[in-house]
Amino acid sequence: MNRKSLTAKTIRSTVLSSVALGLVAMIIGLGFYGYTLVHQYITRAFETAKLASVSAQRGADSVALSKEIMRIYRSLSEEERNRVGTEEYRQHFSALESVSKKGGAYDVLVHMLRTFVNEVDYVYLGMYDRDTQALVYIVDSDEEEPLFPGEWESVTKQGMEKFLNWNGEGMLYDIDNTQKYGWMCTAGFPIRDEAGEVCEFLLVDVSINSVIRNMLKYALQIGVGLALATALIALLASRRIKKAVVRPIDAIADAAVTYVRDKRSGSDCQDHFSGLNIHTGDELQNLSQVMADMERDLAEHEQQLTRIAAEKERIGTELSLATQIQAAMLPHIFPPFPDRTDFDVYASMDPAKEVGGDFYDYFLVDDDHLGLLIADVSGKGVPAALFMMASKIILQSVAMLGKSPGEILTKTNEAICSNNEAQMFVTVWLGILELSTGKLTCANAGHEYPVLKRKDGGFALYKDRHGFVLGGMDGIVYKEYEIQLEPGDKLFVYTDGVPEATNLEQALFGTERMLSALNACPDAATPQDVLEQVRRAVDDFVRGAEQFDDLTMLCLEYKGPQPKEGDAI
Amino acid sequence: MTIIKRQDGTNLKIALEGRLDTMTAPELEKELNASLDNADTLTLNFADLAYISSAGLRVLLSAHKVMSKKGGMKVVNVNEIVKEVFDVTGFADILTIE
Repeated sequence: MNRKSLTAKTIRSTVLSSVALGLVAMIIGLGFYGYTLVHQYITRAFETAKLASVSAQRGADSVALSKEIMRIYRSLSEEERNRVGTEEYRQHFSALESVSKKGGAYDVLVHMLRTFVNEVDYVYLGMYDRDTQALVYIVDSDEEEPLFPGEWESVTKQGMEKFLNWNGEGMLYDIDNTQKYGWMCTAGFPIRDEAGEVCEFLLVDVSINSVIRNMLKYALQIGVGLALATALIALLASRRIKKAVVRPIDAIADAAVTYVRDKRSGSDCQDHFSGLNIHTGDELQNLSQVMADMERDLAEHEQQLTRIAAEKERIGTELSLATQIQAAMLPHIFPPFPDRTDFDVYASMDPAKEVGGDFYDYFLVDDDHLGLLIADVSGKGVPAALFMMASKIILQSVAMLGKSPGEILTKTNEAICSNNEAQMFVTVWLGILELSTGKLTCANAGHEYPVLKRKDGGFALYKDRHGFVLGGMDGIVYKEYEIQLEPGDKLFVYTDGVPEATNLEQALFGTERMLSALNACPDAATPQDVLEQVRRAVDDFVRGAEQFDDLTMLCLEYKGPQPKEGDAI
Repeated sequence: MTIIKRQDGTNLKIALEGRLDTMTAPELEKELNASLDNADTLTLNFADLAYISSAGLRVLLSAHKVMSKKGGMKVVNVNEIVKEVFDVTGFADILTIE
């Protein structure tokens, strides 16, 4: 994906904010400019009106003139008033001596008012008539088109009332956009008679068209300036953003792409991000720093993973070696005594983990005595395996001294208890078979009941007497018992991994199923057949469930003393 | 497995629910190591214990050895399966089972 909108976005936002800012500044500036100027014009007009009103009162009797003209005006009918501007209309007022006479009040006032015109546009005297809503001119000082006394113009009620009701505070003025004169400010000052009644107003007009025009010109100038400034700012901002933002971001993005590519190709380059050299002093520098840290951390993590994997492999190798060593410790060559015809023995040990705590053993103590044992160390895995190795060696050493099973277990228990910090223990069933007579002398240190099959019967548990486990308690004396085996009898011993094999539904295989499996074997089955039969039954039962405990079995078939070759029958 | 512990003065009572095997025995061992110092007697209630393996027996034996120097340990409400294990392994002769 190749998106390059960051610069465009910056330009857009810069332009928008510049324009908004410029507009606000322009409005404020124009408003201030306009207000100040207009205020100045109003002040000038009002001051002129005030000053001129004083002169108008003193220089001539303008009050009397006003009163006379207003009296005539009010006496006219509507029809007559509507003839304003005609000679006929003017004659109503020119009949007055004060108007027509040279040097009269009108003549004096016209000349006097003209002296005030230099700074304003028009200076004149007038009076508002409420009834007709009109401004009636009394004296107009305009030289070009002077309005005749008594001539009138309609005015707005609002403007008229403002003048008539002025309370003397501030300045009296009104601004209006007239058709004839454009934007016009009219300021006024009332002139009162002796009774205090307002008889007329000294009115001053100032055109503020120029002010408005200037404001428009000013606005145009600012607008152009603003557009130029905005364009310049946007250009600069886009350049700056390119240098300060876009290029570093592109650099980081490129580094990320290269990083992934190098990782895939197996390159061990480790300065994709740390070599970026971004010193913007802002979040982007932070980002590149964070990416560099991340690259370093990932590299460390990767190394650690490699180490862990190597370690795991080493442990795996060691464990597989340990499995071999442990398997080699147990007699595993079958048939074990190929030249012996008086018995047959078969055994198997399947640890749940790489190494197990179960073990079995069989050995000829002498030519007439066969030692058989099966054992189960508490727990599983490496600790159990180490304990199993020690137990097995002690047991066999003691057994080879030719002692009875009870004595062997008692001695072994003492030896184990003397050095058992981990407080582990081992259950052992031990038997020594006198081959010539079939007398099996046994002792049981907390191990499962043996299973016995008489020649023509079925397999059945032999509920022997139990001693405590080996290594559990010091000073225990193990008792022994005897079983007389007849030719064709079979003995099956096992560890709890067989009856306690568990299926996915958490059900135990159990002693009953084990006995059924044993009894499913034909009479002629060899010890190997018997073990394979039981193993199959267990596998069928547990199906997919993980083997949870070590599974160990041993089977002996006593065949009885056989005539040796060459012996006389 | 769930361990429900109740300390009544110096009498510690622990009830176990579920299976005490290789996976769960370390849990009980840890709990006992932390608690036995403050207990004179220990009562283990096995009413809801379905199964015990040799790893569990090992923890019981350790606790038994510690408590036999103090006020003793007893196991109560043992079901048939667990009782069978105690019988077979000879633990029935060593432990106080009620």
